[in-house]
Amino acid sequence: MIFKIAWRNIWRSKIRSFTVMASVLVGVWALIFVLSFTAGFINSYISSAIENEISHIQVHHPKFMDEKEVQYTLKNTTSIVDNISKNAMVKAFSTRIINSGMLATARGSRGIQIRGINPQEEANLTRLNEKLTEGVYLDATKSRNALLVSRRLADKMKLKLKSKPVLSLQKEDGTSISAAFKVVGIYELGNALFEETNVFVRQSDLSRLMEGEHNTHEVALLLNNMEDLDTVKNGLAATFPETLVQNYKEISPNVNLYESQMGGSTYVIIFIVMLALIFGIINTMLMAVLERTKELGMLMAIGMKRGQVFSMIVVETVFLAMISAPIGLLLGFLTVSYYSSNGFDLSAYGKGMEKFGFSDQVYLSLDVSSFITVTVAVAITAVLASLYPAFKATRLKPVDAMSTV
Amino acid sequence: MDKVIKVQGVTKTYNPDTIPVHALRGVNLEIEPGEFTALVGPSGSGKTTLLNAIGGLDTPTGGSITIRGQDIAKLSDSAMIEFRKQYIGFVFQAYNLIPVLTAKENVEFVMLLQGKSQEERATRVKELLKAVGLEDQIDRRPAQLSGGQQQRVAVARALASKPMFILADEPTANLDSKSTANLLDIMAKLNKEENITFLFSTHDQRVIDRARRIVTLEDGQIISDETIAS
Repeated sequence: MIFKIAWRNIWRSKIRSFTVMASVLVGVWALIFVLSFTAGFINSYISSAIENEISHIQVHHPKFMDEKEVQYTLKNTTSIVDNISKNAMVKAFSTRIINSGMLATARGSRGIQIRGINPQEEANLTRLNEKLTEGVYLDATKSRNALLVSRRLADKMKLKLKSKPVLSLQKEDGTSISAAFKVVGIYELGNALFEETNVFVRQSDLSRLMEGEHNTHEVALLLNNMEDLDTVKNGLAATFPETLVQNYKEISPNVNLYESQMGGSTYVIIFIVMLALIFGIINTMLMAVLERTKELGMLMAIGMKRGQVFSMIVVETVFLAMISAPIGLLLGFLTVSYYSSNGFDLSAYGKGMEKFGFSDQVYLSLDVSSFITVTVAVAITAVLASLYPAFKATRLKPVDAMSTV
Repeated sequence: MDKVIKVQGVTKTYNPDTIPVHALRGVNLEIEPGEFTALVGPSGSGKTTLLNAIGGLDTPTGGSITIRGQDIAKLSDSAMIEFRKQYIGFVFQAYNLIPVLTAKENVEFVMLLQGKSQEERATRVKELLKAVGLEDQIDRRPAQLSGGQQQRVAVARALASKPMFILADEPTANLDSKSTANLLDIMAKLNKEENITFLFSTHDQRVIDRARRIVTLEDGQIISDETIAS
């Protein structure tokens, strides 16, 4: 009977109940949207960083990452490549020579990182060949000293196709050398910081200029399955103890930070939204209790125990949440479904975001556990919000309550 | 005969620390089973306060109230609720039915609180609503009933728990003549045929005329106690 009374009480003041239900519904929907947007936003950053820049795993000389000196090359690249090529968990890999140098044009010069790549390997790993907006990829030209620059760098340095900037770099023996390179292609990755500081050349051209024997600085790997990350990393580290094998989290602290903050921020967002909901529900339920003071007094007068009165108010509040939360969850699910395939357009803010490596299209994503978390959070919120009004109801003295007008 | 209600030297003072209002000043009253007693007196004479004290809804400042041999002042809050549920039926001036429940559900409610079986509840509800002449209105909610019909449902509800006595505070105050006469007929019949004890406060001369004992209160004291010869 308590459930029956509680259920019917909800419909006594339809506007008030619909207001509470609407606030729960909007709260749940907003929560799902914000959580999925945050997850999508961070996922896009992480996948963009993995796909375009850091891959899943990188192998370096132990001192290279700290000092970035050209002499810290991998001495056994052939063995490493041989090992990786035979590993079925590895999807693609690329060997790179990395040289910190200068790019000079008639307009001026600026410090850059020259990445000497094997065009085919790099195409397999980062699909760099698909990111050209002008010109051709390194394997489609016979020009010696071919150079790929980004659109941003090209604009800043007034470079265009066939421009011949001079690259100054360090040879493996520590001396410097300069050579003219010809711009054959212009790429865009959507990461301003990377684009402004990185150019690509053929590994063979860079190797020739550096005059080294073992001048590979980096081997980057992409895996078929993220779950194999530790297995592959540990395997390589054990096989090649003289190298430093790092996963993407270790290589890019930003990625690690975003990934670890995603979990924490989820709970902060849930807490804030639910806190706002709690006050809304408390207010409404207190009004409901105050309006029914006389009736609650009568119920206690004829034999309803205080605990039963308390339960009735709690059940009433939970009913309100139970009606509206599933609708909010459904709307949230539909919103996530739509924007997970169509992407949420942030192109109006794209310029600023690209600078930090974020895409201007956010594909919303939310796993089942987050839906469960939201559901549990709403249930807890409803119960918590009902406690104070329910407690107030039990404090009524029947004789005083019944004498209220 | 054992007394159903025994009120001894009951006092009730409101605002004892500021401006004291003495609502009851040493009231003594005994009610026996099957009585049909009216508490009469002007407004502020203490009728409702006395009924509330007997019903355990309000706590007297002094004196004692014994019901069925139990000094109700010694009962805890929850024990008092339980006691009321088992032994006392209430009929209020403003009917005070549960607006979201039908007539049938309102009558059934107290029995549910008592944990009575479905079968017992169904039989009793039918019986009681028939007794108050509302067997054809069982599925109507209070808002769909007239004032008189609502008060008859309230009487049926008060009787549902098979109480020792019924306390009725101005039960006819909001009723027209016809409804009043009808309600009084029902109450008198239940009193006579089922020996149910009624103690009611009233201003209403029509009710007073039907009472078999009239207790008059004035300024918180009983000034007369008259038994009417039948």
